[in-house]
Amino acid sequence: MADELALSVNGAQHFVSALPDTPLLYVLRNELHLSGPRLGCGMAQCGACAVLVDGQEVRSCIAPLSSAVGKQVTTIEGLAQVWARKKGLSASDAGLHPVQQAWIDEQVPQCGYCQSGMIIAAVELLDKNPNPTVAQIKDAFTNKPPSPHLCRCGTYAAIIEAVQLAAKTMSV
Amino acid sequence: MLMKADHSGDPSVMPTLTRRGFFKMGGALMVSFTFPGLSAIGAEVQPETSHLASWLEIRHDNTILVRTGRTEIGTGMSAYYAQVIAEELSVQPESITLLMGDTDKTPDGGYSAGFLYGAANLRKVGAYTYQALLGLAADKLRVPVSSLTVADGVVSGGGKSIRYGELVQDQQLDLKIPVSGAPPKVDPAEWNGLAGLDGLTVLGNPPTKPVNQYKVVGKSFPMPGIPAKVTGKTQWSCDVTLPGMLHARMVRPTTLGSTLITVGALDKTRFPNAQVITKQNLVAVLSPNEWEAVSAARSVASGTKWSEWSGLPGSENLTQALRDYKWGAPSGSNGNAAEVKAALAHGAKTISATYEQPYIKHAPIGPFVAVADVRTDGTATVWTHSANSQGLRAQIANTLSTPIEKVVVRWLDHAGQFGRTTFGGDGAEGDAAILSQLSGRPVRVQWTLQEDLAWSASSPGWVEDITCSLDDHGCVTALRSAFYSSQSNDARIVGALLAGMPCSQPKPGYWIATEWPYDKIQNRREEVYGMPNLGADAHTAGLRGLIMRTPGQRQQNFALESLINEAASCAGIDPIQFRLLHTTDQRLIDIIQATAKAAAWEPRPSPHPGARRTGTEPITGRGVDIMVRQNSYWMGIAEVAVTPDTGAVQVTKFTIGVDCGKIINPRQLERCMKSGVVMGVSEALKEEVTFDKGKITSTSWSRYKILTMAEMPEIKVVQITRDDKGFGGGSEAANAICTPAVAAAFFDATGVHARRIPLTPAYVTTLLKG
Repeated sequence: MADELALSVNGAQHFVSALPDTPLLYVLRNELHLSGPRLGCGMAQCGACAVLVDGQEVRSCIAPLSSAVGKQVTTIEGLAQVWARKKGLSASDAGLHPVQQAWIDEQVPQCGYCQSGMIIAAVELLDKNPNPTVAQIKDAFTNKPPSPHLCRCGTYAAIIEAVQLAAKTMSV
Repeated sequence: MLMKADHSGDPSVMPTLTRRGFFKMGGALMVSFTFPGLSAIGAEVQPETSHLASWLEIRHDNTILVRTGRTEIGTGMSAYYAQVIAEELSVQPESITLLMGDTDKTPDGGYSAGFLYGAANLRKVGAYTYQALLGLAADKLRVPVSSLTVADGVVSGGGKSIRYGELVQDQQLDLKIPVSGAPPKVDPAEWNGLAGLDGLTVLGNPPTKPVNQYKVVGKSFPMPGIPAKVTGKTQWSCDVTLPGMLHARMVRPTTLGSTLITVGALDKTRFPNAQVITKQNLVAVLSPNEWEAVSAARSVASGTKWSEWSGLPGSENLTQALRDYKWGAPSGSNGNAAEVKAALAHGAKTISATYEQPYIKHAPIGPFVAVADVRTDGTATVWTHSANSQGLRAQIANTLSTPIEKVVVRWLDHAGQFGRTTFGGDGAEGDAAILSQLSGRPVRVQWTLQEDLAWSASSPGWVEDITCSLDDHGCVTALRSAFYSSQSNDARIVGALLAGMPCSQPKPGYWIATEWPYDKIQNRREEVYGMPNLGADAHTAGLRGLIMRTPGQRQQNFALESLINEAASCAGIDPIQFRLLHTTDQRLIDIIQATAKAAAWEPRPSPHPGARRTGTEPITGRGVDIMVRQNSYWMGIAEVAVTPDTGAVQVTKFTIGVDCGKIINPRQLERCMKSGVVMGVSEALKEEVTFDKGKITSTSWSRYKILTMAEMPEIKVVQITRDDKGFGGGSEAANAICTPAVAAAFFDATGVHARRIPLTPAYVTTLLKG
């Protein structure tokens, strides 16, 4: 039977009626109507579905809903709010998260399907390493478990530039 | 009102401007079209798109709406189209809103890949509209058209000025411009089973703005959709939800040729809201809840029985299977076979080689998805990310046996498709439409990645035999090639094939894709041979083939440029110098020299004097290739590091140059060139579809490997823009410039020719052991 579970997403508490083994992705998309995270491989091999759970990147296509209960889930829709809180500003004054702004400034997305996951990975990386080298960026997007973040359009060069730009903006 | 413009003196292609009425509020100039040849004989044809309001609207608030059936596929067309039309109208591109792809809201149809065609059309639409606006301004300001100037949508003359919005204020103006063409339809006479995929063509030659006066084209206008994509505001095709909609997951046959024996039981106690729908070999599980559909489909699949089928040769036997096929006459050829044969016989040296490549995949990150709402009255609405909405509309109407007028296709963003939807087929749309028709409910079909890699069409494997002769100076005197592959035009929709419903009928065959870059090699004979899908028989389509990014030329250029590299080596001449010996085309010479300079190329023959095929330490090499395509000139230089004992090949640096005529948007072009290199290097090093006797087995990212960020080379970009050569294809073809350069660099490092891609460690190890 579907239980009523409390889920905290992008700073708001939601009660969702879903089986606890339902992958988080389906709940975010179909119950909460968040279209940022998207289904790619469905087996944690590509990163298109990545979200932050308590600040850590999680592949929502395989993470069961139950694993996110009691934690803070963040999708790209909530990043501006995360940034505002970090800077102690109101959401309207803070604007976009610097990573999102860098993605616009560097014109990163082509089709854009994987980019929500790429942005999530970048936010997590910059949280741990505020000034990563190109080698560290490549390493983070490739070798961090469970899999590389894949982009079929091939926007990797633009992603590296955008991560470096965001690092610069965030350090100001 | 007839406009003053040069229309080649043919009155039948004159645009007409009509005032349909006055309005108290609002007002607009609407640009729609007419078919002049037909209206001239008094039989004005009402095309499928005739009810459309307009192609372009100049609104009273100075905003501009442009509608095109062509769509954004990730390479920046939404920016380029806005720039091209803004230029002709002398407005800022920010004032333009593009409405793309919806068949009930856009007039022209056409391939999304056909940017040059689409841009030529929109340029003329803009030019006609500009002339109409000048005419209106001349009347209003009471000055002759010749003394008017326009900047940012403000027309000035005689000391007065007026904005476009004011010219249309409180009026409904209707500008009809002349076009030719017909809507797509399923047509067995066509090579891919569909006619009319090109869309409409704007006729006449309205005066266009001289390129040297361009203010918008040539600037790096940003892609309009990006802010929404990075903030989660974009509505993607996978986001469509409708009231009463069911989620479906497909239960696919165990092999490409299996037929259904029994459907597995659906456990209603576990999946109370799920249902199973079957039509011939199309099996689906549907539920209002997506996760229930997923779980129930897995359960049903485990109990479903299929017949055995083993009509494929297995990927390890692909080359042999192509060799064994009884090829008939070539489906395309050029050059005089006898003359080339004689010229080859008189060469001082002859070089022959066979090049080959396995099947590869378009492999988008997002698998196919579609939503369809088919009603009992025969109307059907399909939400898609297809790159040819009108083509898909024709396919769906054909499959459902419903009049095309009753089918609407709505387009939304989704993962890049890289050519697999260019003919409007393949994909989940057929599944969704059939299931909606059968269930009486709107249905969303989401393929899994495994299903997508197994059931979507592939870019077929091929072999090419190629020979050239050299004279005493090392110059190529003649060249002969024969390319063999299975068809890559099978845009039939999977659901219709499995359900045994009507499908388009593609014909086996192939085409010569090479645009010849070497005008000094005059004796050449090219032949291409096409066969049906591998494994196709009376009951199955087999391994379906479809075009993929830079189709045909990507494959044929690998063989041609690899042979040219072998010839240069044989002649003991630097490979860049060798190419310069064989062309007089100044555009090609310029891009070769500019790219070589950017890569700090120092001339010497290949292989490197220190080349070796053994050792645990990496050895470096470099290689080059060129390509001419769609009024663009390409040059690639690869630098690689090969570790002989492990077979590891890394592309460390890639320098890519292009002259694509007038560059519309340098920054987006740079993005496309860099990302194209990633795809091309991926193809050179990693990509290979594997299959056993019945099915594709490379059905995950761990088995169908693509390039990761860490494997990406350093990429250097060279661009040459020209004001006097029109627009060229710039955003697509960067991928195709990679593979010959990488293979040549491998040879430079090791002294061993790589005549097959991908250069996987396993293949390289075998190759180097000799």
